[in-house]
Amino acid sequence: MISLGQRIAMAVAMTRVMALELVRDRAALVMTFLLPPLVFLIFSSVFAGATGDAIQLKLAVADVARTPDSIRLAQALAKSPEVRAEQVAPATADAVRERVKSGRADAGLIIRADPADSGKPFVIVADPARAVAAPLAQARVQQVLSSALPDVALRRTVAKLEPALGGLSEEQAENADSAAAFLRTSPPKTDDGFFDRQDVRDARTGGGVIAYYAGAVMILFALFSAMQGALGLMEERRTGVADRLLAGVAGMGPVVSGKFVFLTGQGLVQAVAVFATAQAVYGVAVLGHLGPWLVTTLAAAGCAAGLALGLVSVCRTREQAQMLSTFVILVLAAIGGSMAPRFLMPPWLQGLGWFTPHAWVIEAYQDILWRDVAGLAVYKAWGVLAAIGLAGLAVAHVQARRLRR
Amino acid sequence: MTPGSILTVSGVTYAYGGGPVLQGVNLELAPGEIYALLGPNGAGKTTLIRTICGRIRPDGGQVLLEGADPSRVPASRAGLGLVPQEIALYPTLTVRENLQTFAALAGVPRARMTAAVARALELTRIEDRADQPIRHLSGGYQRRANIAAAMIHEPRLLILDEPTVGVDIDAREAVDTVIRGLRDLGVAILMTTHDLEQADALADRVGFLRAGRMALEGRPKALIAEAFGEKMEVLVHLVREVDEAGRAGLAGEGLEPTRTPLVWARLDADGYAAAGALDRRLRQAGLAPKEIRVREPSLANLFSRVAEGEAAA
Repeated sequence: MISLGQRIAMAVAMTRVMALELVRDRAALVMTFLLPPLVFLIFSSVFAGATGDAIQLKLAVADVARTPDSIRLAQALAKSPEVRAEQVAPATADAVRERVKSGRADAGLIIRADPADSGKPFVIVADPARAVAAPLAQARVQQVLSSALPDVALRRTVAKLEPALGGLSEEQAENADSAAAFLRTSPPKTDDGFFDRQDVRDARTGGGVIAYYAGAVMILFALFSAMQGALGLMEERRTGVADRLLAGVAGMGPVVSGKFVFLTGQGLVQAVAVFATAQAVYGVAVLGHLGPWLVTTLAAAGCAAGLALGLVSVCRTREQAQMLSTFVILVLAAIGGSMAPRFLMPPWLQGLGWFTPHAWVIEAYQDILWRDVAGLAVYKAWGVLAAIGLAGLAVAHVQARRLRR
Repeated sequence: MTPGSILTVSGVTYAYGGGPVLQGVNLELAPGEIYALLGPNGAGKTTLIRTICGRIRPDGGQVLLEGADPSRVPASRAGLGLVPQEIALYPTLTVRENLQTFAALAGVPRARMTAAVARALELTRIEDRADQPIRHLSGGYQRRANIAAAMIHEPRLLILDEPTVGVDIDAREAVDTVIRGLRDLGVAILMTTHDLEQADALADRVGFLRAGRMALEGRPKALIAEAFGEKMEVLVHLVREVDEAGRAGLAGEGLEPTRTPLVWARLDADGYAAAGALDRRLRQAGLAPKEIRVREPSLANLFSRVAEGEAAA
């Protein structure tokens, strides 16, 4: 009978083999430890602004009216840091539509009449596939209009009020004109309209999206690397290492255990690389939540390791395993929210996401690092992840025994 | 089980996929003995080895390894080492690192690890390559490292599956030397091979497996003497390929083509005298040979007979 100590020594020997193999393969080292923080930086740069002010809308502008005020508006839009406005040439409505249709602009603005005119002097052109673009363009134009052309806003308001007041006296009309002239020469420094804005949390934390993508990239790469590592089981079958060990006392069990330990450790190191980057670049408070972060990370890495070993071990050939691993890595990542944010998905897809480890990992990290709660939801996530990992490990062990036949 | 034998296979039967693979195979192996298991592909050699390793439980009969059933008693496999046909090692690890790994996986205690690795390196004569990665070694060194990893835990029975497939003559010699050295230490060795010359040179006993039955078994010299008596093998090496008429002429002399191109052979009790007469007749027939050799029959001759079913009949 083999003692527990011997079994541990065997698993450690296997862990050492995998560590040596990784250290001696530079390409794999880069893939494993440099790629995750890099991909995290790319994703977070893309999505950090996806829900906030940081979006710089690209606006195609055509000033068809060519009145003094419309020219002022077009110039103010061009200067505004809130929007990337660009006057199209020729300045026609068709040119604007063409820009938007081809995707060279997010939205278009046609100034068809003097901005102070009653009625609707502006047309917003937007692609229905970009639902956010139209209201955002409208809001930006209104923002620029009220801050750079307050006189025009005043004149429009006065024009609307006039019928209700039963017409303006000469003196009142003069006062309005002089007020408008004053506003035109010295516009107020700020006009935030009706709204004051408060951010829900300290801006330093970089927001939930950063925590989201740190988690999303961590589990994506943990599973990817675990799958690559688990494919070693196939290599061991092919080269006869499995035959050699199955003729011995211990069989393939210690190999599976050793791989599990190594792959879990590898996932932990990857997570350190990703979250260290998140803390350094975006100020995500990882160190402030080290305990729960570590448990989440170990659960996530163990889940990836167990899942990968279980899946690879049920395959008969390396080709099968490779295909399954590609499928699992891509599909689980897509459904689970490692590629596109879950909050942008339709509800049924968000529901489906709970069948992937990705969704659990992402939610757990967000709860801990952003929402600042380590309650029931997080414990549930830890339980689900650990259960998936252990189930995979159990399958791999059962398959290793069946391999004897 | 004969006292002192390490392995006893008695009356083992096994069927797979509807057909019999092993049909009452017997085999016994004592310490310090080299046994070569021969047979064409599909004869059941791999299945027999898997049965001995405890991976297949026979339908009938019994396998006893160190007196216990290896498929039910894992401890009985502690004294077994398997050298797979492929290089079953981790290619990026050095020889020493591989040996340390397989020592740990075979349950060699930490305290004995260094000595065990040194011993395996010495017995397989690869100390000078100990710290090189496997993938940088020549085929011969890889083969010897493959053997070293299987005997790191000092097994009493070593099974080698085609130990010299795909290596050059020098490397084969080196592997043979290692195998003899292990035999001299008292290790029982069971090897499968297609290399009949190697079996002839190395094995104390050979067994021909044919269609799941042990068709012939014994000491090589005795088996050859029994099968061929005083007959010698006459080999005719032709200068060039011959046409249909030429082939008929050669066949008329009792010659048969061999696996070597341009070489035809026959067995003749009259050896050298027959060769002289044969040479004259062939020259007269316009089939002048480049060379005629006379030699004692080998396992290859016996193997051909067994494979064709003559010896078994």
